[in-house]
Amino acid sequence: MSMDFDAIVVGSGITGGWAAKELTEKGLKVLMIERGRMIEHGTDYVTETKAPWEMEFRGEGDAKLYADEYPVQRLNRHFTEFTQNHFVNDKDNPYAVADGTKFNWWRSYQLGGRSLTWGRQSYRWSDYDFGANKADGYGTDWPIRYADLAPWYDYVEEFIGVSGAAEGLASLPDGKFQPPMALNVVEQHVRKAIAQRWPDRCLTVGRTANLTAPKEGRAPCQYRSICARGCSYGAYFSTQSSTLPAAQATGRLTVVTDSLVEAVDYDPATKKATGVRVVNVKTGERSRYGARIIFLNASAFNSVHILLRSRSEAFPNGLANSSGVLGTHVMDHASTLSTMALIPGFEDRTTFGNRPTGVVIPRYRNLDKKDGDFTRGYSFQGGALQSGWTAAKRSAGIGKAYKEQNRKVGGWRMVFVGFAESLPRVTNRLTLDPVKLDPQGLPMLNIHFEHGDNERRALADAKAEAAKMMEAAGGHVIMGFDEPGVGGSAIHEMGGARMGHDPATSVLNRWSQAHDIANLFVTDGAQMSSSACQNPSLTYMALTARACDHAVSLMKEGAL
Amino acid sequence: MSTDKATEPRPAVKGADRRQVLGGAVVLSALAGIPLYAWNREREGRDGAGATDSEKLLLARLSDLVVPATGTPGAVAVGVPAFVELALLHGLEDTASEDSGKVKMGGDRGGLPLLEEVKKGLNRHADAPFLTLSPERQHIALESYDAEAFAPEQKDHPWKKIKGLILTGYYTSEVGASRELQYELVPGRYDPDLPLPVNNRSWSSDWTAVDFG
Repeated sequence: MSMDFDAIVVGSGITGGWAAKELTEKGLKVLMIERGRMIEHGTDYVTETKAPWEMEFRGEGDAKLYADEYPVQRLNRHFTEFTQNHFVNDKDNPYAVADGTKFNWWRSYQLGGRSLTWGRQSYRWSDYDFGANKADGYGTDWPIRYADLAPWYDYVEEFIGVSGAAEGLASLPDGKFQPPMALNVVEQHVRKAIAQRWPDRCLTVGRTANLTAPKEGRAPCQYRSICARGCSYGAYFSTQSSTLPAAQATGRLTVVTDSLVEAVDYDPATKKATGVRVVNVKTGERSRYGARIIFLNASAFNSVHILLRSRSEAFPNGLANSSGVLGTHVMDHASTLSTMALIPGFEDRTTFGNRPTGVVIPRYRNLDKKDGDFTRGYSFQGGALQSGWTAAKRSAGIGKAYKEQNRKVGGWRMVFVGFAESLPRVTNRLTLDPVKLDPQGLPMLNIHFEHGDNERRALADAKAEAAKMMEAAGGHVIMGFDEPGVGGSAIHEMGGARMGHDPATSVLNRWSQAHDIANLFVTDGAQMSSSACQNPSLTYMALTARACDHAVSLMKEGAL
Repeated sequence: MSTDKATEPRPAVKGADRRQVLGGAVVLSALAGIPLYAWNREREGRDGAGATDSEKLLLARLSDLVVPATGTPGAVAVGVPAFVELALLHGLEDTASEDSGKVKMGGDRGGLPLLEEVKKGLNRHADAPFLTLSPERQHIALESYDAEAFAPEQKDHPWKKIKGLILTGYYTSEVGASRELQYELVPGRYDPDLPLPVNNRSWSSDWTAVDFG
């Protein structure tokens, strides 16, 4: 067959955009395939500048439509009338869950994928994270360590623009930061109170892929905090604002949209992937593209889904699955609102502008000594805010005095949301549903996911410690929880095609390359062997850039 | 804010005031003149769906009792009743829910039946048909009913939902969001520590406060 392209990149989200950029910049002719619709930067952000009164449902959206067609997506805090066009229609994109389990799978099928809707929190992992599986025996040892990835973190941060404060913490390594966004007056106070009592705990501003200084045709953040509508300033990292223009500038990128990759084709004679089979989701038309190398960047669960669907005589249980572990050991952070507290003493202070990031308290448990009754750790994200008009919904009152009260800025409150590391477990697993078919006639993905006791113990400690920290800062705790949200709630689902040393127990090698198939790379969340407790996207990006570099080196050597 | 009305004796208000009924009709006809595209679309698009005239009248009275005209227009003047009707038809604020948060898909009238519950509750607190009372007596009856709804032991209460929609309708209207409160789509900067003015107005465009406040 003819080689239409040097490389095919499946998916156009956070890692797909990176793969397209890196491979085209290294001289390859690349096809990027996106299952969702085209979204042009700027012009297609149709709700970006709308006011609530310009929206039919004032920004809250049509609850009846949502119940019928968006029953899962509607549970996401970022899903509103302003952003619904950046999330999937659940009715058209069904998935199955194992009996007795739940999983909220929040998805964005469109050019740019979830890079348009992501939380933008950008954290490096440390050797506490890369060494965790080896240290306690859960999962398989990562075949890489921090030193392998550090230069790639540098490379990615400098390109996407990450604002943050260097703190010199071993558990959350510093990066190449743009100037940090500011902590507000209450957060500054709480930072000091925590540092005073717990020298090993640090509250710092969230490291976020929102620019605080201009960068290559992108303007700095305007402090609107409506990112998920799309940002025509290009102030946050998305495929559209950042990697896509770079890839397009090479003249070597072809993009197709509305095209679902049904399967990756494999030639048992050469032991290589030869291309992909595609179905147009609008017309049902089927076609095929060929390439010398294939990068799967369809998002963790979808990349696994493609491999599971790509069955052949050589790989009856899914492509690149000679180990049998494909689909297993999937993870998502166990998260919950650990505490909410009123913080008195700042009634005469306020802020201006909407900062698109919160604060973070990096992991402090079980680092160099075991000081929690669980393995690994948790971190907090949150922030201090003053309530606005919606507080009136919880208040008795009517009439003039009530209206007068409602116009005022409310009291300060602070929240810490705990994110506990999710252990890799063989029982948390993706399979092809044996019965149910999706609208394309393909077997649905079946998700079996449950949080375990370790996550619950970590969140119990998080709740207790969060309350202590609030109280040390003079806060009055008004609520707190330790039961994790339904799986998927952290939107950090990952794993399923894990990296490892041994082809018998892992899908990918240290270069995100399939042990079984040399020209097949999986560089999205599927490759993760553990979950750490910080946001994973920056690590996916660094691993993608590193894998692209390796793949092109192998091609130049003639090894691919 | 008054929150202790539940413990006070229920006001003994009896007798209809015919002038207030007529006054209500005037309010209703005034509503028809407001450019309420959503309301009108709903009326045209559905056979028999939508609020009845008496439900519209009740919504109008409740809206202005919760958010009356002050230095800025009140709820009726900015079209809140039409928004609440649309919102109820589409089950916003869990108003069309069966069990816990599950929105009912069949009912043409969505959450509108909640208004009947609210009317019964108000009549109970007024010891008279609520809509026949003078505005002052309506205020007293609603204040008493409101205190019941927001008493600590109450969980779900139909009035909380209707009141929530009235507040949403008002504070997301152009007047409510940008004249009663302040609205700035593009702040352009972040000031982390400013003195709060004595006559402060909150920001309807502080989306974090709207979500978590």
